Parts: sequence; structure tokens; C-alpha cells
Amino acid sequence: MKRLSITAWFLSFVLVLFVPSSSWSAPLKVVATTGMIGDVVQQLGQDKIALSTLMGTGVDPHLYKATHGDMRRLQQAEVIFYNGLHLEGKMQSIFHKMARSKAVYAVSEGIPKSDLIHYGSVVDPHIWFDVSLWQQAVETVLEKLIRHDPKHQAFYNANAKRYLQTLTALHQWVLDQINTLAPAQRVLITAHDAFGYFGRAYGMEVRGLQGISTVAEFGLHDLKQLKDLIVARQIPAVFVESSVPKKFLQALVAGVSESGHDLKIGGELYSDAMGLANTAEGTYVGMVQHNVLTIVKALKQGEPSQ
Amino acid sequence: MNDIWILATASLVASSCALVGVLLVLRRLSLLGDAISHSVLLGIVLAYLVMGERSEMAMMVGAVLMGLLTAGLTQLLQKNPHIQSDVSIGVVFTSFFALGVVLIAIYAGQIDLDQECVLYGEIAFVPFDTVVWGEQSLGPRAFWLALAVFLINVVVIGVAFERFKLMAFHPLLALSLGLSVPFWHAMLMTLVSLTTVASFDAVGAILVVALLVIPASSAYLVATSLKAMMGWALVYAQLSVLLGYGLAVWLDSAIAASIGVMAGGLLLLTLAIQQLLKPKASQLNLS
Repeated sequence: MKRLSITAWFLSFVLVLFVPSSSWSAPLKVVATTGMIGDVVQQLGQDKIALSTLMGTGVDPHLYKATHGDMRRLQQAEVIFYNGLHLEGKMQSIFHKMARSKAVYAVSEGIPKSDLIHYGSVVDPHIWFDVSLWQQAVETVLEKLIRHDPKHQAFYNANAKRYLQTLTALHQWVLDQINTLAPAQRVLITAHDAFGYFGRAYGMEVRGLQGISTVAEFGLHDLKQLKDLIVARQIPAVFVESSVPKKFLQALVAGVSESGHDLKIGGELYSDAMGLANTAEGTYVGMVQHNVLTIVKALKQGEPSQ
Repeated sequence: MNDIWILATASLVASSCALVGVLLVLRRLSLLGDAISHSVLLGIVLAYLVMGERSEMAMMVGAVLMGLLTAGLTQLLQKNPHIQSDVSIGVVFTSFFALGVVLIAIYAGQIDLDQECVLYGEIAFVPFDTVVWGEQSLGPRAFWLALAVFLINVVVIGVAFERFKLMAFHPLLALSLGLSVPFWHAMLMTLVSLTTVASFDAVGAILVVALLVIPASSAYLVATSLKAMMGWALVYAQLSVLLGYGLAVWLDSAIAASIGVMAGGLLLLTLAIQQLLKPKASQLNLS
């Protein structure tokens, strides 16, 4: 009797193993380079795709080192999304070459050149900080998912529509939040120049201590200029970033404090990488909300009315 | 197939580095690879400033030239009896790197320009960067680059073996025999610069710097002649690649770093075995 029940249990287990593979279609295997792109793909694809993200929490894309498993995942992927605009550095030329034989797409490809911020011949890659630009990246992801998995077209379209509405609301919310700051307070000082698009879209003056690359170091002249600006404009706070060391900004804060002006570190912003998975900051929307709330809260402390 | 391409490329790079590394270790220039990995920044920045864009070819050329200049200047400084060889390396590459950083700050502050993102390759992605002839894929670009560098190394070292040997062990004798020491030294330095920069491009910097120093040092512990030392260095390099790759697959970690770790592990193992095998000899030395 006991043996019979074990046999029955085993048989049912085998059945369970076999049934899904015949009635399900295997999910589309997608690889995304950054967490922000991964989040878009996840929102659109949900259970119809199997997503893996190469650069996890707190990883500076400049310092990313691929593991053996990353190579495997790229090899097995059916669709690969990357940011482009040189964010992935030398990996980008590899993606270009992979595109000859594989479905590899830059999510920035649909954005018109005139909407990008140019520094000479080089483009600022941090497009996700302007929510309206990021919506164009969502459109690109949607188009490519449908191209490679047309039978779930309706599903992807519905998800994209919902997600784009969320992003439209988010864009408006960020505008409203920044508008609560007095115009003189709208200065965002961070460790490296990641927030150019944010500043342009939401009317904030953006200053970075380092250049775009997190490797270049800042000059004494830059530091002096920044100090003068902070004291002259009575800026109450500067911000650190999750993927860049804090020590440079701490040096700036110490330097300004010597000249009698009270400068605080306003909090940590997510720049090149998102927060931990399964937290609010681990999604694109949560990351933007966290950044904006942190910025507004810290800069409001300097207003005389409060 | 991808694993085989990675292993083959790593193995070729490791062989080139081991051969050149032996000559460098014997001449107390083992950190030249590390030095070049920093000073190439200046070459990259200058190439960018001359070309006005991030062209890969121009940056490679700039990097090789700067590697050569680093090696040459190091040698020049060494001629001064008041400057030790380690100091001469340290002086040259740090000032070159610093000059590169200054130039970036002045001219290219808004551009992502550093050796990590424009020159150094990633060994895990070697199989994806293929050479295509017509419709036919001929395998990874890095593999062919590594093969070319390896063949150049074998030919040059094969031809100049006796001269390099003489210069490594009896530099004064080499001079008195009328050997053109500056010429062959320049030859060696060209080999070093070419090997390091091409290998940086193929597999990244950590691996190259580690493989230039560690297999040659391990070989130095066991070998009694230059030929044997090169042979042992090749053996150690291949073992490091195989074991390191296994480690990377097992732990799902970075391949280049795993190979470096294994190379270091093998060196420690060799030292430990030698200590165990020669307890009497060391006691004799102490008494």
C-alpha cells in the first residue's frame, strides 16, 4: 500500500514535470546590461520572458567585470538590450559585432540626436534621468520584444501602455516636486556628471565634481569654483552617489565648512546603478522617486521660511 | 566552443607573457608590465587629442608607442648609478599616468576616456568579438591577435636567444664581445610593449600583469638554465590558465582574476613543496 502511494506520488511528480513543457511556450531569454534596462524589460515582459541583468546593485558600469556565467548568459540570450552611447565602454563595440548574428539592441537607438546632450563629439549616456527620454527607450524595448516574440504582442502592448502611463505621471510628479523649490535653490551638486539630463528636463542647474568618467579626477580650480558657488548661492546640500566613492564630496564639505558656510551631504542618490532588488529603490520608478525626494528635502533646508 | 576560444586565447596570451616575463624577471624589470598598464593612459589621451575621436586603432598605436617610451625612459634612468631599477620604473609610469590625468582634466573632462573603457578587453567576451571574412566567421579577433603576438615572440626570442641570455646574465661580457646591447635591449622593450598592449586589448590588464610576473617567478624557483626557465614558465602559465578557468566556472567569478589567483597559488605551492623537500639544507644554512 505504502509502495503504491509512493509510486503514485512519483508518477504525478513526473507528470507535473512534463505537463508545463507541453502547454507552456518557453519564455524568451533576455539579457539587459544595467538594472534600469532590466526593470523596463521586466515590466513589459513579466512572466513571458526570462530576464538576467549583468550589472547588479551598486555596480559602476565603468568598473564592471564579467564572470564566466555572464558569458554563458549572453551566449544563450535570444534578445540583448544595452544602453549604448558608450555607457558600457568597450563592451559596446562587442555588442556592435554581436549584432551581426544576434538580436542585440541599444535602448537609446530610438532617441533623436537632437534630444541628446553632446560634449564635443561625445554624448552623455545617462538618459534615464529624464523620464520622458526613458519613455522612448521603453518604446524601443517594446518594439524589439514584439519583433522577437510576436505571439505575445497584445500582452506586451498592454503592459507597455500601463508602464508608459506610470512614467508620464512620474515625469509630471518630478516637475511638480522640483517646482516646490525656490528658483535660487535649484542647484544639484554631485560627485560626477550623471545628472545632465535630469537638470535639463526639470530645470535644475547641475554641477559635478568629476567629469563624466568616474576615473578622471577633479582639478583644484574646479573645487575652488564649486566652493565659491556654494558659499555665494548659500546652497545647503550636496549629494553622494551609490556607485561613486563618497570621499571627494566629504572633502568638499569639509572645505566649505572652514569658510563658515554650513554645507551638508544631502543624502545618497542612485546614479549609474539602482538599489537592492525587492526594495522600492530597486525599480526605476522607485529610484527616481528616491532621488527627487532626497534632493528636494535637502535643498529645502536652506530656505529662509523653514 | 566558446569555452575553447577563451581557453585558447588565454593560453596564447599566457605563453607570450611567460616568455617575455622570464626576460623581464631576470633583468629586474618585472613590474614593467604594470607600469605600461598605467602609462598607456597618456598614449590614449594623446591619440584622442590628435584624432579628435575615440578611434580604436589610433589608441592602440598610441598605447604601444607610449609603452615603448616607458620602457626606453626606464632604461635611460637606470643608467644613472644613483637610480635603482625599481625607482626608475616607478618614476616614469607615475609621471606619465599623472600627465595623462592632467591632459584629461584640461582637454577632455566631459569624455569617458580611460584605459578601462577604451583599451582593456574582457576575456569573457572574447568569443563574441569575431572576425568576419565575407560570410564566414573566422573566430575571435582576440585569438588571432594573441596568436600573432605569440608567433612574433617565438621568432624574436628564438633568433635572439643567445644574445638575450648573455645580456641577462653577463651584461658586461656582452658589451665587451661587441654585442649591440642598446639595439637588442630596444628589441626586447618593443617586444614587451607590443605583448602587453595587444594582450591588454585582448584579455584585460590584470591577467597580463599577473602573467608577466608570476609564472616567470615560479619558474625561477625550479629552473637552472634560461631554456629550462622558459619551459617551466610556459608550464606554469598553462596550468594557471586551466586551473583558473576551472575556478571561474565553478565559482561563476571573473575569469581573468581567477587565472591570476591560480598563478599565485601555484607559486606558493612551489615554495611550500621546496621547503618540505629541503628541510636539511635550510637547517644547514641556519647553522
